[in-house]
Amino acid sequence: MLQSKSFVKKTKQGRVVKVVREHYLRDDIYCGAPSCKVCDTSASRLSNSASTILIVDTNVVLHQIDLLENPAIDDVVVLSVVLEEVRNKNLSVFNRLKALCTNSLRKFFVFSNEHHKDTYVKEMVGESPNDRNDRAIRVAAHWYQSHLGENTQILLITNDRENKRRAVEEGISAETVESYVRSLGKPDLLDLVVLSSSADVNMEDVEDHRPSKKKVIYSEHKPMSEITSGLLCGIYHQGKFRVNRYNPFEAYVGSESIGDEIVIYGRANMNRAFDGDIVAVELLPQDQWHDGKSMIITEDEDDEEEDVHLAPSSADDAPRSVNPVQPTTESVPPVSNRPAGRVVGIIKRNWHSYCGSLEPMPMPAGNAGVAHALFVSKDRRIPKIRIQTRQLENLLDKRIIVAVDSWDCLSRYPSGHYVRTIGQIGDRDTESEVLLIENDINSRPFSTQVLACLPPLPWSLSSEDLANPNREDLRHLRVFSVDPPGCKDIDDALHCKPLGNGNFEVGVHIADVTNFVLPGTPLDEEASQRGTSVYLVERRIDMLPKPLTEDICSLRSDVERLAFSVIWEMTPDAEIVSTRFTKSAIKSCAALSYVEAQARMDDSRLIDPVTTDLRNLNTLAKIMRLRRIKRGALTLASPEVKFQIDTETHDPLDIGMYQIREANQMIEEFMLAANISVAEKILNHFPLCSLLRRHPSPTKEMLEPLLRTAAAIGLDLDVSSSKALADSLDRAVGEDPYFNKLIRILATRCMTQAVYFSSGDLSPSEFYHYGLAALLYTHFTSPIRRYADVIVHRLLAAALGIAKLPPIFQDGPQLTGIADNLNYRHRNAQMASRASVELHTLIYFRKRPTDTEARIVKIKSNGFIVFVPKFGIEGPVYLVPKGNNGSDWVVDEAHQRVTKVGTNIRYNILQTVKIHMEVVEPQPNRPKLQLTLI
Amino acid sequence: MEYVDSLTGFRLDGRRPNDMRQIRGEIGVVAKADGSALFEMGNTKVIAAIYGPREVQNKGQQANNQALVRCEYSMANFSTGDRTRRPKGDRRSTEISLVIRQTMEACILTHLMPHSQVILIEFLVHILLKFFMYFLPKICFLQIDIFVQVLQADGGTRSACINAATLALADAGIPMRDIVTSCSAGYLSSTPLLDLNYIEDSAGGPDVTVGILAKTDKVTLLQMDAKLPMDIFENVMQLAIEGCKAIAHYIRGVLLENTKQLECRRGI
Amino acid sequence: MVGLSAGEKHFIYGGIAQDLRTDGRQRLHYRPISVEIGVIPQANGSSRVRLGATDVIVSIKAELGRPSSLHPDKGKVAIFIDCSPTAAPMFEGRGGEELSSELSLALQRCLLGGRSGAGAGIDLSSLVIVEGKVCWDLYIDGLVVSSDGNLLDALAAAIKVALCNTGIPKTTVNLGASPNDQPDVDVSDEEFLQFDTSGVPVIVTLTKVGRHYIVDATSEEESQMSSAVSISVNRHGQICGLTKRGGAGLDPSVILDMISVAKHVGEQLMSSLDSEIAAAEASAEDQ
Repeated sequence: MLQSKSFVKKTKQGRVVKVVREHYLRDDIYCGAPSCKVCDTSASRLSNSASTILIVDTNVVLHQIDLLENPAIDDVVVLSVVLEEVRNKNLSVFNRLKALCTNSLRKFFVFSNEHHKDTYVKEMVGESPNDRNDRAIRVAAHWYQSHLGENTQILLITNDRENKRRAVEEGISAETVESYVRSLGKPDLLDLVVLSSSADVNMEDVEDHRPSKKKVIYSEHKPMSEITSGLLCGIYHQGKFRVNRYNPFEAYVGSESIGDEIVIYGRANMNRAFDGDIVAVELLPQDQWHDGKSMIITEDEDDEEEDVHLAPSSADDAPRSVNPVQPTTESVPPVSNRPAGRVVGIIKRNWHSYCGSLEPMPMPAGNAGVAHALFVSKDRRIPKIRIQTRQLENLLDKRIIVAVDSWDCLSRYPSGHYVRTIGQIGDRDTESEVLLIENDINSRPFSTQVLACLPPLPWSLSSEDLANPNREDLRHLRVFSVDPPGCKDIDDALHCKPLGNGNFEVGVHIADVTNFVLPGTPLDEEASQRGTSVYLVERRIDMLPKPLTEDICSLRSDVERLAFSVIWEMTPDAEIVSTRFTKSAIKSCAALSYVEAQARMDDSRLIDPVTTDLRNLNTLAKIMRLRRIKRGALTLASPEVKFQIDTETHDPLDIGMYQIREANQMIEEFMLAANISVAEKILNHFPLCSLLRRHPSPTKEMLEPLLRTAAAIGLDLDVSSSKALADSLDRAVGEDPYFNKLIRILATRCMTQAVYFSSGDLSPSEFYHYGLAALLYTHFTSPIRRYADVIVHRLLAAALGIAKLPPIFQDGPQLTGIADNLNYRHRNAQMASRASVELHTLIYFRKRPTDTEARIVKIKSNGFIVFVPKFGIEGPVYLVPKGNNGSDWVVDEAHQRVTKVGTNIRYNILQTVKIHMEVVEPQPNRPKLQLTLI
Repeated sequence: MEYVDSLTGFRLDGRRPNDMRQIRGEIGVVAKADGSALFEMGNTKVIAAIYGPREVQNKGQQANNQALVRCEYSMANFSTGDRTRRPKGDRRSTEISLVIRQTMEACILTHLMPHSQVILIEFLVHILLKFFMYFLPKICFLQIDIFVQVLQADGGTRSACINAATLALADAGIPMRDIVTSCSAGYLSSTPLLDLNYIEDSAGGPDVTVGILAKTDKVTLLQMDAKLPMDIFENVMQLAIEGCKAIAHYIRGVLLENTKQLECRRGI
Repeated sequence: MVGLSAGEKHFIYGGIAQDLRTDGRQRLHYRPISVEIGVIPQANGSSRVRLGATDVIVSIKAELGRPSSLHPDKGKVAIFIDCSPTAAPMFEGRGGEELSSELSLALQRCLLGGRSGAGAGIDLSSLVIVEGKVCWDLYIDGLVVSSDGNLLDALAAAIKVALCNTGIPKTTVNLGASPNDQPDVDVSDEEFLQFDTSGVPVIVTLTKVGRHYIVDATSEEESQMSSAVSISVNRHGQICGLTKRGGAGLDPSVILDMISVAKHVGEQLMSSLDSEIAAAEASAEDQ
């Protein structure tokens, strides 16, 4: 059955090494057509009645993946040669193709032509690898045609003219994508077709009647060979291109070769790079290292415009301020010491599809219904994208998804194609979906394979669970939970029992999710991919299916549940005497809300056992909290907004800051303690593969905005350590009660976010959690909604010897990959939550123009940014009408204030101002919240 | 890296997880040796030569009442992708030599050959010469040398060496209780894989090498590097054993063919 | 070692004297040669040559290197021979080292010319890619698998065959910006350059046993030799190298006589090698 053929490969690893690999050719690869008389049809994937089977070439897959994903295209044979080429050229397209090939609803079949004895082709002398692969595709198509006979038509889909010509010569039917889609008679499919570059030029001729026609707008990208040699000799620098979220005309390239970030100002210097691309950058001469503010305004018709948005909670979310204030001294060109550069070539594109809407435009006349439109992405980092559509009328007021295809140096904007419509702009459901898509959040219902992993319902504690020697029966304990009101996914509960010696036994009981989510199951894979539950204002996107989230795992009151418990013995001074961990069975006696718990503690008449426990816990928590703060933990503040949602319409009824009570802090304190105890335990057992969480100390540069503000108002902050910062934040008390909180909010946004990591990847000194001032930290207490906790549960179980460590932990790179994914998901979930709040803020103010107080947090040349404490939002207030450059306002950098020339009307940082908030629609379908000074 | 394509189920070289590479055995490749064989598993190519049974060369090594089995494993300079001058007797080859020796010793009927007739004659002469002085029964022991030479290494060299040694021992006419065959299996991309080649071997996953006595299905050699959970290990080992059986089947065929040819040459 | 009885020795001497050796050959006859090429696919070129029961494998690997400062216009060639213990138990451990280095040196002397590389059988300047910077280093590794005398002739023949089989990848050179940079060499996957091997000599070893000399001695015959002269001859009948082994002295006129015999035998050997190479290439093509 095995037929061997060796072929020769040469790789260059500094030295020349001849590599010989075997390549087996087989006769047991089947064609996948159920009608086939010869092959084993048990594994066939194509449809029974398929009269036409499509074979696509690599470029069709790479460029037309959106079309292939449309259910109208089916009965496709994907050759392994195509698969391999796609894998090498574009991993994200490959993953999408892979999803198509494994989707049981779609009829995509993978044929291993490279290992089939009749379809393997050897490279001929003088034949390029591309030609060889094209020939392989034709040979396979030919094989299919003769294998399946006359009843089935094999159609080779290729846009390569030469390949098509040869195929026809060899007797294979071949068509271009466009002509095939036309033959299907579905005009809307045509929008999905990416036009080949030659068609693109034609399109430009028709469309581009601006004077800039044929003008070279961007400089040509350098050829790859030149880039490689340039990188080698240090003329060019390679790095990931990241566009400033708040200023799309400014980007950064983190370069290892110069060990610093290179700033790129303006579209011309960005030279068609997209956010996330790997680019080669050339440094500009040092005298051009000024900031490119003036360039931006003159260069592009787009004007930079700040939107009202939710106040950021960390440095990762905050706009980078590269001296946003116009310099006061106009004569001397400002030279900064940050290297600036320009993109000379793109090493790897990060194009994918984007969410947004079309720029409003009049309906064009004629042109057979084909119109050219500009697409504006929701993500401001993405430039406008030109698309061609036959359904312009339909699309103008819709949120749509568009994919990028090309960007040549003659056109100002990249060209792309329409992928699909999400819904009406401004519609809450549409916009919610948009923000989910934008943040790459999977909100699809769980698949049947995933649901098949759930235990049968109704679930109840079984005798086997209790008979398990590793599971302690703690049902007799007085366990209760305290959560936000209406919380259904209760993953933590507590108990507190006075001991005979005056100490307390305190237990933290966490839902035993890993008892139900077994490693390697589809359920586990799905949870690992989702990484976290996502909380939007009106809905929750679960990490685990609902029966687990709300029932089986949730530690509801009066039902018996499985738990993973951390039990301490604590002195009345909250010193931990001993710690033990065990799987357990518990029965919660009360599921309290924070308000209820607080009310019970405050009501001195109540002396029932649960209330006593609460008071004991609270006393301990206060001591622990004090000790933690003494150690240097920061009390940071972030404005959290709370909506009251109409249960019928899901529209927000009221909005306000989330109030933090003592009860919240009490629960938080024990969760922190449990997490730290667990982190110590797992790291002790698995020093190389523990999943921990760290919070890097902020650098001097990151604290710069805070220090500048503090200096302007004459506040002295010591940022030498987290302890020093915490102390100086405590001292920063102004005349008004909100002053301290405001400073804390500003401090918070100078910090980066905490991240997950595998302990094998870093040295112990880097494990530090700055915000909590903890040497070690991890997440253990919310396994229902965070996958990190699931991993930590498995680690802890293995450390206790009650479960095996899944093999994945032995694979360092894979573990790092998981940690990276968790960080990515975590961050996206946060972004989505914030976007959801912003969306609802907009909906709320649409009907309710409001006057309120706000604080100035940043001074700009044409106004200032205010923070509205009541609603937790932040936005610009313009002192000068837009487009009016002859400003009569002058900025005082040192004192952070803006003064009107010739008057003493001035605005200082942190000053309180009165503003009016109203939703306006400057463009149709583009509502935005506007802040004006009263 | 994906060692088993999740869409097609093929390994990098086109095998399925349970497929072995192409194997080839040839008897009598070293003319001057008492027995010799070449064994190929894919691109792995080894030669084994047997010298002996002959008198123990180094008297210090002799063992009581059984023949001495010695083994030396060496790799040709050109056997690996990047050419290296390797010193003889480095740790790895010493270890493999030991493994092969122990494995082969287990199947050679060493107790049948403590000494031979030639030595009996010598013994008589000895008595005649030294009759009046001492009467010490001196027994001369026999040794068997197994030399394995790797011509090309592409994963699974120790298995290939054992298989080649088995063929060569049979060629030399050394009495054996059974034939030993060896094969390895690994665990990559969450799949047990039979007969790892060099690329798969260098993935760093677990590699289980098994040697069995073909008739009795007894495991005589078992080695694994890296960690593997118990239940998976069972599957991987079982797969390697299946591989050994397939090789045993092939080796029997080669031996049978060889015997037929011998008969033919002798005109039987 | 070969242990021979007095009768056996006598038989060998007598046979040689009467021009009918123990295996039926005449004094100046080679044993049948069999040639295989491409036996080591991982190498750039390889061959296996069998001369009776003598069996050797030669592999040639080409690696990128730097020319020596003395000869910036020449590539480098190194010859290493290894005696596998499969050939004889005495080669076990370090036992084969002495013979290995003797063979390596003899081959280097006969094939590579002098220190300057001027008289080499291979055109060393064809190995240079960028003068003074990059060249090909050829590593010729020989392995004695089975030994029945006349290893040197067999190895030299195998090297010649392997060189014929060797393809050196074509290179494209990307010179660095400044002359001091190490140039960037791109190695082609598909295109190979063949060597001109017409100048590569063969070695004919004449072994003096008793009063006569013979070619291609078996190990029994070698055990009786008084001295041996290895002469490397190229296609044009030129002598490229010469080594004398064995303690007994030779009359200078005998040596001259031997050289002219070697030239004659060498021609025959080369033509039989050529036809074997052609046959081996044809059978390799068929596969």
